[in-house]
Amino acid sequence: MTNFFKKNRKFLNLIPVLVILSLLVVGCSGPTFQGWSGITERDGFLYFGGIDGKVYAIALAARSQNQAFPSENEWVFTIPSSGAPGSVCGPACAPSSPAASIYATPVVLGDLVCVGVYAGNSGRVLAINRLNPGYTDGVPQRSKGEWTYPSGVKKMGAIVGTPVLINDVLYVGTSDGNLYAIETVYGESQWQFATSGKIWTAPAVENEAIYISNYNKKVFAVSNQGSTIWNTELPASVASSPALSTDTVFVGSFDNHLYALDLATGKEKWNFEGGNWFWSTPLLIGDTVYAGCLDNILYAINAGTGQEKWRFETNGPIVSPSISVDNFIIVASKIGDIYVVDSATGTLVRSIHIGSPVMSSMLVDGNTLYVHAGNFSIYAFNIDTGEKAWEFNYSSNE
Amino acid sequence: MIDIWNIVILQPVLNVLVLMTNVLGGSFGLAIIVLTIVINLILFPLRVRQTKSTKAMQTLQPKIQELQKKYAKDQQRLQQEMMKLYKEAGINPLGCIWPMLIQLPIWIALYQSIMQALGATPESLLNLSQHLYSWTAIGHAIPLNEQFLWLKLSQPDPNLILAILVGGTMWVQQKMVTPPATDPRQRSMTNLTTTMMPLMFGLFTLSFPSGLALYWAVSNIIGIIIQYVVSGGWGYLRAPAAPKTVPAPAQKVLPPPKASPAEQSKVLQQAKEESKTIKKASEEKKKGLFGR
Repeated sequence: MTNFFKKNRKFLNLIPVLVILSLLVVGCSGPTFQGWSGITERDGFLYFGGIDGKVYAIALAARSQNQAFPSENEWVFTIPSSGAPGSVCGPACAPSSPAASIYATPVVLGDLVCVGVYAGNSGRVLAINRLNPGYTDGVPQRSKGEWTYPSGVKKMGAIVGTPVLINDVLYVGTSDGNLYAIETVYGESQWQFATSGKIWTAPAVENEAIYISNYNKKVFAVSNQGSTIWNTELPASVASSPALSTDTVFVGSFDNHLYALDLATGKEKWNFEGGNWFWSTPLLIGDTVYAGCLDNILYAINAGTGQEKWRFETNGPIVSPSISVDNFIIVASKIGDIYVVDSATGTLVRSIHIGSPVMSSMLVDGNTLYVHAGNFSIYAFNIDTGEKAWEFNYSSNE
Repeated sequence: MIDIWNIVILQPVLNVLVLMTNVLGGSFGLAIIVLTIVINLILFPLRVRQTKSTKAMQTLQPKIQELQKKYAKDQQRLQQEMMKLYKEAGINPLGCIWPMLIQLPIWIALYQSIMQALGATPESLLNLSQHLYSWTAIGHAIPLNEQFLWLKLSQPDPNLILAILVGGTMWVQQKMVTPPATDPRQRSMTNLTTTMMPLMFGLFTLSFPSGLALYWAVSNIIGIIIQYVVSGGWGYLRAPAAPKTVPAPAQKVLPPPKASPAEQSKVLQQAKEESKTIKKASEEKKKGLFGR
């Protein structure tokens, strides 16, 4: 063959290889999970799930002095492997996710810190002794009060929504569509409630009723004995965890609407349309609902009528639930900027630039704001000044 | 660049896929099949052109081999003669490559869309929100139902059924279009394409979300149908294997029998006919549906 056609033949033979490579690159960059756990504070320690799939306990005193990690009573706990794949696309790809990730914010109960685990097809709740973790080879130490649910060969769905603890019972929704009530002494199931739809949201509890939403367009009110009080079907699946007032349930959905439902009956009171999904949990202060939307806007809506009061535009989608401090609302964009906004007018008071994705719940303690960002860092900011007090980067612990 | 790709190619394909899921009663699996068929219908003229170009090139192979023997020591002359031959037959040697290249971005967009639409993890579901149009029907379809027949579309097929289907259909398709090679180097490359590719894709199926494997299987089946219709049969699938060209040490290698002028003219005529059909199809396309 001449050079010309030799070149063409090589090119022709290269095409299938190019196709395979493109598909592999695209495929492997697809469905991976890292987690975005929020932070819980107790007794001068912060507990959170890292993006590396580990649970961390860091001491505020040690971090403010920038001591080497781990200092006294600080620890890092690796979630015991359950053989879950690190990536949905399996062995054809290099695992780009840890075997287990943590989306839910840890919950502290006495000496235990309870962590909801997301491991692709399955999940678990681990109760770890927060003073000194005792798990050995993945097995909890009963003498330290530790437990794992489910134990043995039993399985439950992956956990994304933060569990809620009420009267020593942990309520957690999972990807298998069940709402579990787990007693926290032995870590045994009291009951489970099937919703027939994936639950990636956190339950809300009010007056001995648990309110939960699923991806099958349903919102449920469940009694604390596990029976249905009411259920309501919305036009689209529910994206946000429910937020409660004394008489209303607020949920955001995939049809770009925020819905207000009657707390007693589940009937729709009003709906409000945004520019994208309302993913983050709405915040209710007085007669105003503050709803962060994936269209980059924080909406302030009259809780009684559904009328917009004001809107504040950020520089990215709002995934992290907004929080309130005094007369301010603190909202974070996924791009990595945090805004302190006047709750009455929506006027910007100050902004803080992190430059790394913020998707997890923020925590306010006194005048300090704690933020878990996507660059494997925990930040502490002075709310009054917006200045960074300290930063803890845990990427070196991977 | 990524933004342009997303806006112009990925988002339209992704949104149509989600919309189709809604129209088809929430069955994402059915939407994948229908969209793959629709895209193949849109690209049908290109695929026909590609198939015919390849066939026309193959028709000239005996003549090309003859030229190769004749001008084995004069590469420049060989190139000139071959170009002359292609010109006489009215064939563009790159004619079978361009249609394939044009189709490639659409296949990749469809592939990406299936991966994204499943929203199998919280991160991918969030990412999906940034690519969807704010149409009511689309909002109502999300998140998609990943159950289809025995498959969980965001997970690999635990059985071997889909892997065998993908590998088998790809093998048939490759075999139909690949002529048996006589040159050992060319034969090894041909074997790589006809055997390794189906084997690799079969293995991928065991690891990738079954929604993608479903798309591969449907694409292959459509490819086989198009190939069957355009070339009027099973092509090289039924052709006998190429004879081995390694001669015995003492055996004298005989030159291939020269084609008679009448046979040469017949081959050229056949290639011209193929080329004319392509041109005609191209002209009809230019006229448009209402210009006919």
